[in-house]
Amino acid sequence: MIADEQTLSRLMAASQRGDKRAYSVLLDEAGKWLTRYYRRRIAPDQLDDLVQDVLVSLHRKRASYDPTRPFLPWLAAIARYRWVDHLRRAYRNQEQAIDTEEPSEPGDQDAVLARISLERLMENLPPAQADAIELVKIEGCSIREASERSGQSESLVKVNIHRGLKKLAALIEKAE
Amino acid sequence: MTMNNSSREQGRNRLIDELTEDLTPVRAFNPRDGVALVAGALALTVSGIAAIAGLRAGLGTTMPSPYFLIANLLLLGVGLAAATAVVAMAGPRVGNRHDAPKWALAMAAVLPLAALASLAGQGHVESDMMHDAAGWRCMAYGTVDGLLAATAMVLWLRRGAPVSPERAGWWTGIAAGGLGSAAYGMHCPVDTLAHLGIFHMLPVLIAGIAGRIAIPPLLRW
Repeated sequence: MIADEQTLSRLMAASQRGDKRAYSVLLDEAGKWLTRYYRRRIAPDQLDDLVQDVLVSLHRKRASYDPTRPFLPWLAAIARYRWVDHLRRAYRNQEQAIDTEEPSEPGDQDAVLARISLERLMENLPPAQADAIELVKIEGCSIREASERSGQSESLVKVNIHRGLKKLAALIEKAE
Repeated sequence: MTMNNSSREQGRNRLIDELTEDLTPVRAFNPRDGVALVAGALALTVSGIAAIAGLRAGLGTTMPSPYFLIANLLLLGVGLAAATAVVAMAGPRVGNRHDAPKWALAMAAVLPLAALASLAGQGHVESDMMHDAAGWRCMAYGTVDGLLAATAMVLWLRRGAPVSPERAGWWTGIAAGGLGSAAYGMHCPVDTLAHLGIFHMLPVLIAGIAGRIAIPPLLRW
């Protein structure tokens, strides 16, 4: 069970004041939340690296959290920023299986989480761009494989990845 | 697989221990600090202009022309709206919107359009623009006078966590151009529509483009 929003906000505010105990709990909870947040949006063997990247970013940018505001939308903005950054860098040619296990946490349908989810971010892309990114950057297909599976030409797959990532980067804070 | 999971867990726990050990108190994000920083930069800029170039005659004692008021209030509005967006961008949050500067820009765009239409109606846009030496000077000084505010905003953003560096670059440049030109307007004695609508508005465009090009590399994290 992952701590609720209010608890996380309190832990973060205490962490900003230098409370190491609160910080350790917060990082642990944030790690669990991020694991769930990224599931099925990144190749499983890269998931932990990305979660750790975000935890380091959380640490370095902890002063940018406004303790009068909710914690999760702030963490989600950092998580999205790092995710788009990761997709830009990651270029995997080998096929990788995506974890198809459904999230076990009951709060998955929670309205707040839905607003800040990666799925909601991807919904802002035209289907062709979302497909190209999904196939190449998340599932790890080669351009040729993605072209065959999506019915787009190879050059169109590349263009759609480029345009899609650019658009995602501009929509990091978008909730709707 | 289980060993893999276990070693990953160990790696994450080790990282959490290191980060916890490294924890020091920080001053939490407060937008008021950012606003104060930009306001301080603007106050310094106006003081500098007053000390070096001097304020225009009659400022504060006589009623200024309507064009002076409209132009400088629009510039100030654009500058403040964009600066406020920049301040907010340092504290990211899914659900943040930064639309205010777009509306302020749309309103301010009326002035250069009116100036160009007025000159075009008289049939001498090019000659009036090319021979207005004071105009080009105002454009240059208005742009340069935004540098202090731009520096303050970049420092503020670097302390924060902007997740849209390109947009932050645009708004920082536009804010600096608007505030710098409004500040220089306290010195400029020319009150014509053409002069204010073109040469006092150009710094917003120039600084906006410069901000978009120069600032994002300074903000990536």
